[in-house]
Amino acid sequence: MTPFRNRFVAIWLVLVVATMTAATISLMTGPAYGQAAESAGNAEESNEPDPIAEFELLPLGPVALNNALRFGCDGKDAEGHKTGCIVDMSINKAVIYLWLAALICCLFTVLVARRMQLKPNKTQTFTEVVYEFAHDSIAKATLGEKTFSRYMPYVASLFMFLWVVNLISFIPLPFGHESAWGIADFGLYAATSNINVTLALTLVTFFVSHFEGVRHNGLIKYMGSWKPHGVNPILGGFIWVIEFISQLLRLVSMSVRLFANMLAGHLLILMMLSLIAIIGSVFIAIGTVPIAVFFFLFEFGLVATLQAFIFAMLSGIYIGGAAEPQH
Amino acid sequence: MAMEGNIEEAAKYLALGTATGLGAIGPGAGVGYLVGKTIESVARQPEMRGDLQGMMFLGLALTEAITFYALLMGFVAFFL
Repeated sequence: MTPFRNRFVAIWLVLVVATMTAATISLMTGPAYGQAAESAGNAEESNEPDPIAEFELLPLGPVALNNALRFGCDGKDAEGHKTGCIVDMSINKAVIYLWLAALICCLFTVLVARRMQLKPNKTQTFTEVVYEFAHDSIAKATLGEKTFSRYMPYVASLFMFLWVVNLISFIPLPFGHESAWGIADFGLYAATSNINVTLALTLVTFFVSHFEGVRHNGLIKYMGSWKPHGVNPILGGFIWVIEFISQLLRLVSMSVRLFANMLAGHLLILMMLSLIAIIGSVFIAIGTVPIAVFFFLFEFGLVATLQAFIFAMLSGIYIGGAAEPQH
Repeated sequence: MAMEGNIEEAAKYLALGTATGLGAIGPGAGVGYLVGKTIESVARQPEMRGDLQGMMFLGLALTEAITFYALLMGFVAFFL
């Protein structure tokens, strides 16, 4: 093997081993199944690790800081956290992952753009490939002429941001729940496995696409474009109602696609690892750990990129399609 | 045998599982058919690859969405 391939394989091996170890430790030291179920009013005693508990969002950092970000509250719990808030912007795992992804995106591209060279090195080539992909395969293929110059940056940065969010979700980072030693565990968590994050991004696309549709066509003509030409008014009205509902359902399908894909991938990996403790035999690891590794490679190598691509692509299709209706 | 425990709770779990499972059958077949046909078309006309890929992803999105409607209905039954 060449040195490059050697290094490549070594990096993947280290990543897989580190992730599996961190996820297992995080599962074993985390809240057991009974504790999480108790808060849901389901008093079941058990010592089994609970993969769902890995997705619970607990406030991180000092209490005073988190309380300052909560508005319209009516009480306090035992630890001093305000409860029953109308607006709760306290800092948790998902927020930190989103900040981290935004920071990586901005810093990486700005640093590469600052030291552009005519004869590009590896990092610059990589960035150019990503940019070209977002520019040509996503934006140019989906946005029409009218909206291309205005929304290319939005669609391209959506792709890059979601890509980074999805990728860092498979790298163990120290933002898990607190372990027995009082420090945060290394754990796997995807900010996009939270419906709030994906729904917020979908809402931006939803409102932007309708805004562009009205801006380019006028309200009456845009609404009229939802039914096909040349059918009788009764049937046309019926199709218009169906199209109206399907416009609203885009909110669901787009947000849930990303959310469900990332949640299912993480849950599968964590479930396979926690099976060792649930069944209570080390020998089961011979079967489950390879499955977990397989799903890890599948999710990290394919699904993370594909879902970011599909989300950005659909945003482009919806925005472009609203500005230039086909019928 | 007499039934014990919270039947309402059990029915909710059953509803979520059944809705998601049954709802995944049709879109699964649909996605397979869609991708297979796209590969067939690309094999016939390789120069159309870019256009076909875009159309495939749009179709994929619309087909896949049906799974999520089923999942959503399951969640509605589970949480509401």
